[in-house]
Amino acid sequence: MAQNPNEMELKDRVELIENMLAAGRRKTEKWGWTFVLWGVAYYVAIAWSAYGNPGVAWPVTMISAGILTGLVASRIKRHEAQTTISRAISSIWIPMGISLFLLMVPLSLTHRLDAHSSVAIVSAIIGTANATSGLILKWKMQIACAVVWWAASVAGCFGTESQTSIVFLVAIFFCQIVFGIYAMVCESQHRQRGAVHA
Amino acid sequence: MPELPELNPVVHGKLRLALLSLLAGVENADFSWLRDKTGSTDGNLGAQLLKLEEAGYVAVEKKFVQRKPQSIYRMTEPGRVALFEYVQALKQLLGDAI
Repeated sequence: MAQNPNEMELKDRVELIENMLAAGRRKTEKWGWTFVLWGVAYYVAIAWSAYGNPGVAWPVTMISAGILTGLVASRIKRHEAQTTISRAISSIWIPMGISLFLLMVPLSLTHRLDAHSSVAIVSAIIGTANATSGLILKWKMQIACAVVWWAASVAGCFGTESQTSIVFLVAIFFCQIVFGIYAMVCESQHRQRGAVHA
Repeated sequence: MPELPELNPVVHGKLRLALLSLLAGVENADFSWLRDKTGSTDGNLGAQLLKLEEAGYVAVEKKFVQRKPQSIYRMTEPGRVALFEYVQALKQLLGDAI
């Protein structure tokens, strides 16, 4: 065993432990871009459905967005640390995506889906994922997005088909595009504050 | 007078202590992430991680991701115990000073 050092050195070690524990827990994930990407993907699928083949538009766009997300995420995550929270968040969004895909594609292919029910189902499921994620991260802005999605889900059950579509487009704009950009700005600020050296 | 505790020299090294403290807060971490957080050089970081690995305080998993080598480090249970005992010894040595 080493001879015990002086008090200054010991205090330096205490400070080092505190700094490193904080640095390890500091949020460094970069997920804001996924909200923007999926928001754009929804818009592409909606536009393609309106002016082309709805049966092909959604599955192709969603599969493409899923592959793109997986590719970019695997590149980003190569140089990251995994925390229990980051694993919990991934465990919400990946099964949600799979559930939506498995539910919506067969319903669409069998023509058992109209504009009202599709907006109501998709909005409710995305709202649930946002709420769970927001509660884990204690992130009020994401919980607010969940409330908007749930409101869109309820609104989707009423009004005309075009009104339902407008509700969905507005929810996508605020909860995917605007929220995604906001998350990216927050993540960038976190990273700038996060430089700690031992 | 009670005997003062001795500090574990493997844990006491500044960079090794930083690495153990970082790994205590995460499930696992990549070599590059540890280098960025500590501001250390590749050589020094590799040497200190090897010492921690030899002491049984960290475990490493080497794999290839997109054809590039990647080393993933995680803290072992003996490492967690060693850091806990080190912190307890620090508290005892510093007493009212912290």
